[in-house]
Amino acid sequence: MFVVYVFRGVLIHSTLGCLTICSLSCTVSSIPCWQLKQVREENRKVVENYTSERTMRKKYYNMVEDMKGKIRVFCRIRPMSRTEAAQGGAIAVGRLDDYSVTVETSRGPREFQFDRVFSGESSQEDVFQDTNRLIQSAIDGFNVCIFAYGQTGSGKTFTMVGDRDQRSPGIMPRAFNAVFDILQENATKFDFKVSVYMLELYNDRLQDLFVSGAEAQSRRVEIKRNRKGLVFAQGAETKEASSAGELFAMFQQACANRHNAATKMNVESSRSHLIIGIMVESRNLTNGSVSFGKLSLVDLAGSERAAKTGAKDDQLKEANSINKSLSALGDVISALSSDLPHIPYRNSKLTQIMQDSLGGNAKTLMVVNVSPSDCNLDETLTSLIYATRVKTITNIAQRNLESKEIAQLKEVIMKLRSGQPVEDEEV
Amino acid sequence: MDTTLSTPTTGPRLSHTEITNMASTYSHEWRAVCDKFNNAQDLSEVESRKDPENDPFRSKYKARELLREIYCSLKNFDVGENESVNDEADQRPTEQPVDGGMEESFGRGHCGDSPAGSRAAKLGAVEYYLGVNHVETEELSAGEEHLMNCMTLLEKCSISPENVSLFIQVRNQLGILWAGRDEIEKAQGFLETAEAMYIRYMKEDGQPPMDLTEFFVAEEEALPQQERTKRFEMAYTHTLYYLAQVYKNLEQYEKAGGYCHSTLQRQLEFNQFLPLEWAINAATLSQYYITKTLYMEGRHCLSAASVIADLAGEVPSEAAAQESEAEAEKRDQLRQKRAEIARCWIKYCLNLLQDAKKLLEDNIGELDMDRQAELRATRLKEEEEKERGRKSAVLFGSSDTFDSICGLEEKVSCVFPVDFEEARAIFLVGQTYVNQAKEYFEMDGHVTDHIEILQDHSALFKALAFFEEDLERRCKMHKRRVDMMEPICKDLNAQYYLLVCRQLQFELAETYYEMMDLKLAVANKQDDLDAHTVKKFNHLCSSSTKFYQMFLDSVRSPEGKWPEKLEDEVLRPALVAKFRVARLHSRLISSSKTIQLENLNRSLECYNFVVQYCKDNPEAKSAIETELELSEEMVSLLPLKINRLQANLASSN
Repeated sequence: MFVVYVFRGVLIHSTLGCLTICSLSCTVSSIPCWQLKQVREENRKVVENYTSERTMRKKYYNMVEDMKGKIRVFCRIRPMSRTEAAQGGAIAVGRLDDYSVTVETSRGPREFQFDRVFSGESSQEDVFQDTNRLIQSAIDGFNVCIFAYGQTGSGKTFTMVGDRDQRSPGIMPRAFNAVFDILQENATKFDFKVSVYMLELYNDRLQDLFVSGAEAQSRRVEIKRNRKGLVFAQGAETKEASSAGELFAMFQQACANRHNAATKMNVESSRSHLIIGIMVESRNLTNGSVSFGKLSLVDLAGSERAAKTGAKDDQLKEANSINKSLSALGDVISALSSDLPHIPYRNSKLTQIMQDSLGGNAKTLMVVNVSPSDCNLDETLTSLIYATRVKTITNIAQRNLESKEIAQLKEVIMKLRSGQPVEDEEV
Repeated sequence: MDTTLSTPTTGPRLSHTEITNMASTYSHEWRAVCDKFNNAQDLSEVESRKDPENDPFRSKYKARELLREIYCSLKNFDVGENESVNDEADQRPTEQPVDGGMEESFGRGHCGDSPAGSRAAKLGAVEYYLGVNHVETEELSAGEEHLMNCMTLLEKCSISPENVSLFIQVRNQLGILWAGRDEIEKAQGFLETAEAMYIRYMKEDGQPPMDLTEFFVAEEEALPQQERTKRFEMAYTHTLYYLAQVYKNLEQYEKAGGYCHSTLQRQLEFNQFLPLEWAINAATLSQYYITKTLYMEGRHCLSAASVIADLAGEVPSEAAAQESEAEAEKRDQLRQKRAEIARCWIKYCLNLLQDAKKLLEDNIGELDMDRQAELRATRLKEEEEKERGRKSAVLFGSSDTFDSICGLEEKVSCVFPVDFEEARAIFLVGQTYVNQAKEYFEMDGHVTDHIEILQDHSALFKALAFFEEDLERRCKMHKRRVDMMEPICKDLNAQYYLLVCRQLQFELAETYYEMMDLKLAVANKQDDLDAHTVKKFNHLCSSSTKFYQMFLDSVRSPEGKWPEKLEDEVLRPALVAKFRVARLHSRLISSSKTIQLENLNRSLECYNFVVQYCKDNPEAKSAIETELELSEEMVSLLPLKINRLQANLASSN
């Protein structure tokens, strides 16, 4: 579906672009000065109209997509860092308007469309403003997932958590407040219960962040879904929270445990993801109906070792000389045909977890973080497309074969036409 | 070297003390080189994994330094050695032009195992290790330079057991390097040459060649033949593994599939695999063969997958899993992977049945006797012999697994079933795997997977029913489908499992429809439509309607509004559902004319909906051409019947 965004955007762009060029070429043939001036004025208007129309169209398109409940993608370009500026790196990524980004690639500029684009000047409030609605959805009983994605150093943690001393808090602490603000507003109509678990996914292993030390090591946590659709972390501790402050304290404790766990393991910690699940159970005070909603907040680890392990899609994955593993073989086989009946090959726990939040009719927001001087969008797109492979509703309905039923009906029609009597059950 | 020096008949005569001195200096220096090399290997392979985050290549850089030192020592003292020992050999390279032609190198230059050739190979090996080191530390251009230096050194040599491994491995590395730079064709060139070199070496020489590490060990530490073979074959397996990826990236999927298959074959043959990983890969490959209707290959992959997965060991008991985290992890892994393989078997059985059905059905989906006879005929002997030829090319197995793989294969056919007995045999195998898969993918915790397996089970029944001639028994099979899906459909939260719910609703509606048709056919055969049958018929009819209606309701907005425009993925299903509901309403049997009239009016309403929707959205027409055409006819014809019925009703009143 990502491709569609990009494609549609380009399509709109090119048709309107043509118009502009046509009117520009007219100017060449016109001679008198006043005419030239008039045409220039017209051109300026056309360009202006084009720009505003382009923006409008994208906006409406995004609104429609939103109503459909599909995943939405924001892109946030962080400001140039001091080191980058010192190295004299040029800016290769720029924000065109609220919905598009251009990237200078070796093969020329490329444009990407997003549901929203934030530049270096956008504040944490700006970014959060658009995520607020999703929190309402979680309270309304939806499965909502917000996560940040991008290279290490591109600003994911700043977006999700905020700076170290919380002078500009990110989405997570703001969401804690927002949840309780909304609950407060509805306190007369609903009875709420908020509970939370906090996990770390590390080396394909889930770690409960509410327990520390040896106990955390021995505990086995798994993410599952029940038939009511609720995602739950089996084996993880779930704590109740009665205020935003309490939630934030738990969050700080979890962060402390996360840090400990990472240093103790003494291996590369770049594969550590933070996963927070906030469950809201609400009971309607007037009719007693109960609904469950869940807000998942995920800070994904970066991939600074990607180059080394060959994470780029078209790179050859090397054989692991140590454990005989030819790990990419599964990838290759899965790619042989787009319609393998069953794919037993599952990349990792992370894909499993993310697939749950991307598929179905969950409401998902992804913030792609990019540094202005580099870009990993291709990789992002590939993994997204993988995660959102759409399945058809039913094969049977898609087939356009002449079925028994159609043959029967044709017979009925023939009889009706020729005025023959048709038995009731044959019509 | 030592033996040459101590033989007084070759080379200039030296006094005994001189010989001992030289030998000891030499062996002393040589030992230092070997030690350095071992150190470098250890740093690069073992130490480097413990390097800190902020200095990730510390050990690699240390290893690089050692390799550089080795290179210098080799350059210095080896030249001296060679000159004093054998002048002849050093003459040869100067006469030879440097030739880049890969094939040429077989018969040209230094004899691979001459001292000069050996020296070139040694230097080449160091260049190789330096190249790999630079690539691993993300210095690609420097890495490329070293690897190309290795290529140049090798160009002067003919292929010999001493250097063939280096010939192949340097090309493997260059293949990886160029693929990383998006120059897939260039990578392909290196790897295909490596492949050709292996094939030619095995044809012309074939003795276990020396491993790269053996360039830097004392003679007495040479690897045993078996180990040499293992390492050499591993290098070639990697060539094939990289070629599989290259062809995938070039979108030559058939070729990529072939290389995946060969890679798996060789992993097994040389015992270089992780059982679970291998088994899952083989099972995935089976799914590819199924899409190509290559059932013999698919079955072979699956049998091998099952057998090899069993090599991964016993599933730890639940009690053991509660005791330790490692056992719990192992238990989960083994159970999950085996269940995944079972699911691949289900798809195998299901697709085999469905593909046979497609071959055998007539234009209204019933078994066609002529086609049945035809398929029987084509399945005669010659066909089977052809398969045997195909089979020898794809066989998996080491000596100890081969029999078990064949044994498993014999349990299920790989040819299209032509009659009920054959279809049933395949169905039963599929059903066994359904039960096996469900043991791990339980409803609680694996909702989506569990339901997918149930849907497959239902599809197995559906395909089997096609082969069943007895209508009553066919109807019972459909009843089994209803029984497994209906409770789940009611239980599932439609908000989170929208897609699954829709699929189940649609399938249930269709199954009831099928049962209704079968009930009527049975009654017609017996020529008796008693009150009980009518009741049953009407019940099936309304059940079908109910599930179509549930499906249609899921398309509405939360406020219950029908969308002005249907989304692509529900467009055809939704209009088909409307069309069927129209049909179902008019098929309800009632003796009351008022109710008949009511039903017909509802039917007309639905036909009208389809026609009107396509009028408002002309782009929808192509999606349901046939149904639209029929709906249009019904919209024009039904009112006549309704009028007649109305008149009838009025006159009888």
